Amino acid sequence: MLTVISHIIDDIGGGIFFLGDVIRVVSRHKISFSRVADQIWKVTTQSMTTTALAGFFVGAISTIQFTMQVKEFGALGYLGGLATSGTIREVGPLLIAFMLSGKVGAYTSAELGTMKVTEQIDAIRCLGANPILEIILPRFIGIIVSSFFLLAAGLMMSIVGGLVMGIIFAHINPQEYLRHIPTIVTWSSLVSGLFKCLCFALVLATICTYKGYTTTGGARGVGTSVVNTAVSTMVGIVIMDWLTSLVGESVMTVVMGL
Amino acid sequence: MTAAVSSVGLQVISAFTMIMDFVILVQKTLLRTISPPYRLRDIIRQLEFVAWESAPVVVFSVSFAAIVTIIEASFHMKLVIKNDALVPGFAALLILRELGAVVSALLITSRVGAGLAAEVGSMQVTEQVDALKILGIDPIRYLVVPRFVACVLGGFLLSIIANLVCLFCAMLVSQIKLGYSPGGFIMAMRTFVGFQDLVFASIKGACFGAVIPIFSCFYGFRCKAGAEGVGLATTNSVVTTSVAIIVLDFLLGYIFSFFY
Repeated sequence: MLTVISHIIDDIGGGIFFLGDVIRVVSRHKISFSRVADQIWKVTTQSMTTTALAGFFVGAISTIQFTMQVKEFGALGYLGGLATSGTIREVGPLLIAFMLSGKVGAYTSAELGTMKVTEQIDAIRCLGANPILEIILPRFIGIIVSSFFLLAAGLMMSIVGGLVMGIIFAHINPQEYLRHIPTIVTWSSLVSGLFKCLCFALVLATICTYKGYTTTGGARGVGTSVVNTAVSTMVGIVIMDWLTSLVGESVMTVVMGL
Repeated sequence: MTAAVSSVGLQVISAFTMIMDFVILVQKTLLRTISPPYRLRDIIRQLEFVAWESAPVVVFSVSFAAIVTIIEASFHMKLVIKNDALVPGFAALLILRELGAVVSALLITSRVGAGLAAEVGSMQVTEQVDALKILGIDPIRYLVVPRFVACVLGGFLLSIIANLVCLFCAMLVSQIKLGYSPGGFIMAMRTFVGFQDLVFASIKGACFGAVIPIFSCFYGFRCKAGAEGVGLATTNSVVTTSVAIIVLDFLLGYIFSFFY
């Protein structure tokens, strides 16, 4: 038990130091824009379909669940606003980020882990180049930027999914559904949803590059680090979800005086 | 022109073969699950890996999700109806209908599903699966069925545990943050949700659990040679399972909506 806990603390510390290393490299060196753009394009195109599909169904699910409740109060008109707001603020970012952690996180840590195990990273160091600058950094920035875009796209798809289910399942006409979205979904919901996406992207990028970079022990080690990445990203995302909600709530209290 | 047509045709054929392979795997797994001999010892060993060892992570994540749900729900309620009387009901609804089952299933996917795909994939690559066949042991009965049964049972149990822990944490948080007494929380909760919601959530958990080993083993058996092949099989299985879980959640939610 004690070894497990110390191992976890060790991992968290290692991840934070790694993040520090990456930030130090960012601040000291000039980053090759084309390489970052390459990564952004690769990650985005790879995962767009998955994210869009996930977002669509997440939106559809929350509309179905809200319909049953709202019907009892006879307030079907508010369905659009409530379902969209619930999806954007809470369920959407969380579930779509889970999906991305399976797709992008596992892929990146498998790629970096294979590089590490086959000593390609050591080869780069031997050539006198900084592996963090050459390999980690483009992926790190690429993942952050494209995850942010992907999550935002997923949220948009979730609104579409909610609308479609509102029409099919709750028999609301689209105008009625859309009319109440702006009354409940304010700019603050949007900002908090997008801020959550940004934080999740940061967690995802840090954990998957760190786990990939510190892989040891051959092909089996790559498998272990992929599984570890998926699990610890999800736990990290849940904790980040809590932190952002906490911070968001206190900011809201100050700004809006609720 | 001919090249284009033939490449499209090849893709269609390979897609169909893949779907047929999948259907055959599902059918064989189900048939061998209900026919003896039952490998009880294997099932229990897998159940330990699937349920017992995943439980801490699931409980941990779900309790954080509960805190977030309460915070967000109270924010919502204050915004829309200017008080937080409906927070317990709203939060319990979100937890029982969606968060509990789906979050625990996605966590099991990334932990167990990825592990299974990597395990079966490396067995396939190192020709251990072929060795089993030569020894006259059916790889589906030996590898897939115990994991399938363990994942169904584990998904069922973990879904119940996750939902109860999540509700408990929501109760704690709402007492600390909103000043609801536990009794008041349960009273307010009961107007929205009933025991049937927990039953539906556990059915959901069992269905999600059934999906995980099937996809993992499917991708594991199709694994191409080399370390890259195993990595690809793992990633593919996790992604496909996650998407399948969300789609299944949608379908089950739609079906259950007729039973309330």
